[in-house]
Amino acid sequence: MTHPIHRNPITAVESPAVGVTIDGLTKNFGTFRALKNVSFSVEPGEIFVLMGPSGSGKSVLLKHIVGLEAATAGRVLINGQDATAEHTLERIRIALVFQAGALFNSLSVYDNLALYPREHRFGDESTIRDKVMRALQILSLENSAQKFPSELSGGMRKRVAIARALVMEPQLMLYDEPTSELDPVMSATISEIIATLKDEYHVTTIVVSHDRELALGIADRVGILMGGELVFLGPPANLRQPADPRIADFFHPRIDLKNPRFKNLET
Amino acid sequence: MKQLTHFLEGFGSAVQLLFQSARFAGTLPRQRARFIDQCYLIGYTTLPIVAILCFFMGSVLALQSGYSMENFGAKQFIGSLVGLSFARELGPVIVAILVAGRVGSAITAELASMKVYQEVDALVTMNIPPARILVLPRLAAVLVMMPVLAIIGNLIGWFGGAVICKYVESIAIEPEAYFSALRRYMKFKDVGTGLMKAEIFGFVVVLICCSIGLNTRGGPREIGASVTKAVVVSLISILVLDYFVTKALM
Amino acid sequence: MNTAQQTARVGLFFLLGLALTWVTWETLSDGKLFKQTGYSLIAGFDNLKELKQGDEVRMAGVKIGSVERTRLAGRRAEAVLRIDPGVKIASDATATIVMAGLIGTNYIGLDLGSPGSPVLSDGAELRTKITPDINAIMTELGSLGQKLEGALGSITNTVSGDGKNPGLFQKLDRLVTDNSAKIDTTMTNLASATDKINKSEGTLGKLLNDSKLHDELVATVSEIRGAATDAKSFVADAQILVNQVKSGKGTLGALIFDETAGNDLKVVTRNLRDISEKIAKGEGTLGKLLTDDSLYLSAQSTLKKADRAIDGLGDSGPITAVGAAANVLF
Repeated sequence: MTHPIHRNPITAVESPAVGVTIDGLTKNFGTFRALKNVSFSVEPGEIFVLMGPSGSGKSVLLKHIVGLEAATAGRVLINGQDATAEHTLERIRIALVFQAGALFNSLSVYDNLALYPREHRFGDESTIRDKVMRALQILSLENSAQKFPSELSGGMRKRVAIARALVMEPQLMLYDEPTSELDPVMSATISEIIATLKDEYHVTTIVVSHDRELALGIADRVGILMGGELVFLGPPANLRQPADPRIADFFHPRIDLKNPRFKNLET
Repeated sequence: MKQLTHFLEGFGSAVQLLFQSARFAGTLPRQRARFIDQCYLIGYTTLPIVAILCFFMGSVLALQSGYSMENFGAKQFIGSLVGLSFARELGPVIVAILVAGRVGSAITAELASMKVYQEVDALVTMNIPPARILVLPRLAAVLVMMPVLAIIGNLIGWFGGAVICKYVESIAIEPEAYFSALRRYMKFKDVGTGLMKAEIFGFVVVLICCSIGLNTRGGPREIGASVTKAVVVSLISILVLDYFVTKALM
Repeated sequence: MNTAQQTARVGLFFLLGLALTWVTWETLSDGKLFKQTGYSLIAGFDNLKELKQGDEVRMAGVKIGSVERTRLAGRRAEAVLRIDPGVKIASDATATIVMAGLIGTNYIGLDLGSPGSPVLSDGAELRTKITPDINAIMTELGSLGQKLEGALGSITNTVSGDGKNPGLFQKLDRLVTDNSAKIDTTMTNLASATDKINKSEGTLGKLLNDSKLHDELVATVSEIRGAATDAKSFVADAQILVNQVKSGKGTLGALIFDETAGNDLKVVTRNLRDISEKIAKGEGTLGKLLTDDSLYLSAQSTLKKADRAIDGLGDSGPITAVGAAANVLF
């Protein structure tokens, strides 16, 4: 397998794209089984969209990829290296866009973006400034550079979080619900950014979402998690006419009060 | 049994945090701005409350000892009593308690909220260890600031005693007599011991508060619980450590 | 607030802490850790008592240095004194260990010496004087009291009889009673009365001429006198102590709080009181017997003085004494 070349969106430095392999991943929180023997792989330079209802274990899976959670069983390999190993994060730049942004509330937008390059000594302050302003421009945030996260709306925070991820010049980019809280115009912009990053720079991307439009629009492949199990894995085209009734229900929910699902609501 | 496990877990994670931070000690010069920031918060902004409390503790100590020592005519030794007890015991303990209450709680609240709102996770994914930029500057700052706070607290406490001795009619000891009594039975070693105690207490308090803050799990409600826990554990640690440190330094 | 201002504040704050620590250090250790000033003298004693390192050296009450260290040197104890520079000490100045505090604080007191004598140089040895130990004085006084008691007892026996033999006064009494009628009725016959008295010369003469008894009596009296002198000198000493306390030398502080000394003092006081009471009871007998009335009176007044002095000590109480002592101490 040839690895497509990843080109950095800001510095245009080229490096090999990164592949992710998830192998028999199982995670228990106490007695609750969040992930049950999940296995799939994400090819280098691919956009993989992970879908599923709330509480199906999508975010937990994402945390395993960046090494924030340790697996109960199974493993996550990034370019063949264990994600929980300490040196993995040193060798491979992985950016995670958190659902709520996870911006540093004590720092201004500018400092939020500049933290990573400063801590990793990317260059002098003017080099860092150029990078940060470039990332802010991409997300139309240049007028908010001196604001603090508490002054921003939910959508703006998300854009700052994406900008912050861009400044990291990631080889692997993970999004947790990137389009929730965003208006349709901004959602479209985000979709465009994700697609551009992939097309132009070959950033391997994993998106966790339950936005069907996004998934069907940009995904190379889609995985669907339900109750901690991977119930679907394939190209988005296969989802037009899903065979599995659970998936069909997920994509085209019908409010049927006679459905056993709603039984507990009647008292 | 469960409590014991919790205690050991907490203790272990604090020690682990200490070693993690120590490993990054070399990055401190680069973190000068953060260090100064923490010094400002821990030292400078804590000074007013330290000053007020130490002044009144010194006064009350002088008043109480004046009242009780009058019975056997040892009023002249109030200076020595206030001086020694402040330098050796009260000064460091009061300053440490104030640091726990004012700085420690703020540290825990800040780190717990960072943890709950995933800022700490974000740092980890950015390959910036929280121990390096969140814990190390605070530990370094408290090490530098504690002795300063403690010596100022001591002097203000002594001064508070002197004011009471002069102006309370039933005691009526001139400041010269008070301070000469204070000097007569005290060596710098007593003050030095106190400063060392303050240093140890402050360091332990900040370490505990950082550790509890970073180990917060759950939602915003847990932030409050963590702060309470951090302050309680800090206070207990100060007083328990006080005994052992005092014995060791005697 | 901008960063520069914050940095400046933190810096100043830290410097303030350093400065205060340094000032405290200087004040509490007299800067000894930095420099050794002045010169040293050696004072040898049999017993340094409670003197310890860091205690003061005072000349005529003024602090002129401190005890640098204490050590044993052969059969004596030595205190090495560090004297402030510029203080000149005459070679005949005498050092004593003085108790100054309630809790066993001592200092070395130096007198001024004589003006013309040469000045001591570094490392020289000071003249020392053993200060009277108050405990020793008390013990001596106690035994003195017992001696007095014994002597007075034997006098009483001789004079009043010891039960078997009639005493001198019974005899005299009987003599006078037996002959009272005759004396009354033969007042006119003075010559014969004189004769009769002359005849009984044997009895009275026995008393008057019994040189052994007389000598014993005289010896006892002189012993009393000696004791009284001793007592007087102690009282004078005590007076000095009291004066010192009052004038603020604070010597007596320790005495007041030293329980054994206090108890000794009480015992002595009681003994002295007993003696004086006995003397008071025997006044008629002894006073009439002893032609030397003034001796008795002087003994009694001495004892009374001692009594008063000791009462005075009791009255002066800890607070005044300590107050006075502490005034000078601090």
